[in-house]
Amino acid sequence: MTAYFIRRIFQMIVVLFISAIATYALLNLAPGGPLQGLRQIQQGGRFQITEDDIARIRAQFELDLSLQYRFTRWLVGWPTGPIVLGGTEYFSDVVVGCRKPVESEILNDEGQYETKVTGCKEVVYMKDLVGRRTSRGLLRGDFGLSWRLLRDRPVSDLIVSRLPKTIQLIGLSTLLSLLIGIPLGVYSAVRQYSKFDYFFTSLAFMGSAMPTFFFGIIMILLFSILPKDAGWPYVPAGLSESVRGYTIPLIGEVAAGSVKDRILHLVLPVAVLTLVQIAGWSRFVRASMLEVMRQDYVRTARAKGLSERVVILKHAFRNALIPFITIVVFTLPGLFSGAIITESIFAWPGMGRLYILALGDSDYPVAMAIFFILAVLTVIATLLRDVLYTMVDPRIRLS
Amino acid sequence: MSAAQVATLSPEAVTIEERTPFQIVMTRFKRHRLAMVSMIVMIGIFLVTILAPYIATFEIQELSVNKYFVPWGTVDAETGRVHHMGTDNIGRDYFSRLIYAGRISLTVALLSVLISETIGVIVGAISGFFGGWIDSVLMRFVEFMLTIPQLPLLLIISSMILRDDQLIAIPDPILKFMGNILLLSPRDSRNAVLIVLVLAGFGWLSAAQLMRGTVLSLREQTFVEASRSLGASNFRIITRDMIPNAMAPIIVDASLGLAGYVVAEAALAFLGFGIQDPVPTWGNMLAASQQFMLDRPWLPLVPGLPIFICALAFNYIGDGLRDALDPRLKL
Repeated sequence: MTAYFIRRIFQMIVVLFISAIATYALLNLAPGGPLQGLRQIQQGGRFQITEDDIARIRAQFELDLSLQYRFTRWLVGWPTGPIVLGGTEYFSDVVVGCRKPVESEILNDEGQYETKVTGCKEVVYMKDLVGRRTSRGLLRGDFGLSWRLLRDRPVSDLIVSRLPKTIQLIGLSTLLSLLIGIPLGVYSAVRQYSKFDYFFTSLAFMGSAMPTFFFGIIMILLFSILPKDAGWPYVPAGLSESVRGYTIPLIGEVAAGSVKDRILHLVLPVAVLTLVQIAGWSRFVRASMLEVMRQDYVRTARAKGLSERVVILKHAFRNALIPFITIVVFTLPGLFSGAIITESIFAWPGMGRLYILALGDSDYPVAMAIFFILAVLTVIATLLRDVLYTMVDPRIRLS
Repeated sequence: MSAAQVATLSPEAVTIEERTPFQIVMTRFKRHRLAMVSMIVMIGIFLVTILAPYIATFEIQELSVNKYFVPWGTVDAETGRVHHMGTDNIGRDYFSRLIYAGRISLTVALLSVLISETIGVIVGAISGFFGGWIDSVLMRFVEFMLTIPQLPLLLIISSMILRDDQLIAIPDPILKFMGNILLLSPRDSRNAVLIVLVLAGFGWLSAAQLMRGTVLSLREQTFVEASRSLGASNFRIITRDMIPNAMAPIIVDASLGLAGYVVAEAALAFLGFGIQDPVPTWGNMLAASQQFMLDRPWLPLVPGLPIFICALAFNYIGDGLRDALDPRLKL
């Protein structure tokens, strides 16, 4: 058992490390990035941007370093300069990048001219890194600085300011959907083939086929736009609080940023996430209950003369929850991904929306940080699921 | 009963009508009413999108100047053509774009399924059949890829591809072929090819796992042993015994996968990281309509409903196929 866990944790670290390298390389190898706009300005010729200006800006974003050094500096905050041992500096003349690349027009295979980096006018040596601003590294909890969204502010600030909003959304909707979904699933299983069961399973089937983004839009239409036009009470959609105060029929005046305002803004996104989750979880509980109710120990419980209520709640339901708990644990990180879409529809200022904004604006440090956090959560959840399996069900042996 | 009496019984009296496996599956499939309805609906949608150039009244990028958001059924004064569903914010015919979008969205989903299931079947069959280190390497890789959160990864990759569309070189014949199917210029269809690659690039993982599991159980069956004792090569066993017998779960997986890909493609386009605007897809039409829905509430319903209908229909068809092909199958 211990050996199994040591191996699993080792595997986990390898997975995280490889995914960190892969995504970092992916994002940083792609052209574009923060200098794209600059080039266009330069080509327009309206502003005179000298080579030195560009070199300075490149240095600010560390774009003048080669990928491997950039990556290690991002991951562990190293190298920050030559290694000093006993007063002598080692590796100080190692070339770590290029300050002023030479770009020239090259004829490519298709007979068109392309701008490509062909050489280097001024290289960056290891000793030049001394005194440069650097992050302490991702592994030490420093995500670096944001490039665009909050220029030069730590990424962690951005994430910390957005995280509570996402947790609010996910926490509330998960809680609600469990509270509603589990009883629905159990009831549907107990009354298998009843009218309720048919109605409910087909509803859940449709719910799980419904794309979240379309569902969100329909909810906005039904509960925000149409009732508002008709002069009925409505729920505000978009953002997490309004900018100006507004009045809703029956509810009355709502001041911007008040508790009432925030709760009203929570209603629609939470409803969307809740309904989507209810569809998934109740189907799972139903299947799991049906499986358990066929077991011999349930028949034994009935044969003992226990009341149906006790049989279902104490004997069947508890056992049906075993696989369910592991599923819930495993899907929790996935909820963050699911929140990406919901947050985008409702312009909810959470992590998911931040991720989309960061990708759209080429703010890689922010995108990388969120992606890495999600990857860590998912990997931990995978491990936790396997651990829970063995803990709740001793029949499963790990090898 | 004497021997003579048995001989006089006609063959029709003792044998039931022989039916091919296909007929058996069809009879069972027809019993699933919702799956049948879904099948008919999907055939209808496919027909409309295949006949798009004959049904559509306008070109997808044709602008009608000064005719923004005209009401449904407006007739174009100069040419006499009808805007069945009006126009969008820059005067493009909404109905024509909708059916061309369907053609593009469905083609992307179909190609993604085709590619991902093919790769999945090959990788899964090799992995399950040979076992040993090949199996370990392949399955560790699949597990590794599945551990990474999918949607965020899809978003990163498509944002990177979109930023520089020369990043991945796609041979011209493929672009031309895709352009011919989608009725777009090769340049415009590049984006669709890339999205197919991205979707299929992740989709094959679960198909491979499924195929491996099926092959593992088939490997122990006696008919495989029989083939082997007759001197069949590994290649022959895989292609003649393994793959045909593992088709049932793969077909079900493919039809459920179609639903997934239609939604995934639309989700990427909706978030702005899929096929981009001049080329219409249901997803990006939905995204574009969102900003106008305050004044025109029906606008997002037009591209949104087909996405939902297709997702639902493919799910029902998958459900029906599962019952028809192998009632014991759980997927």
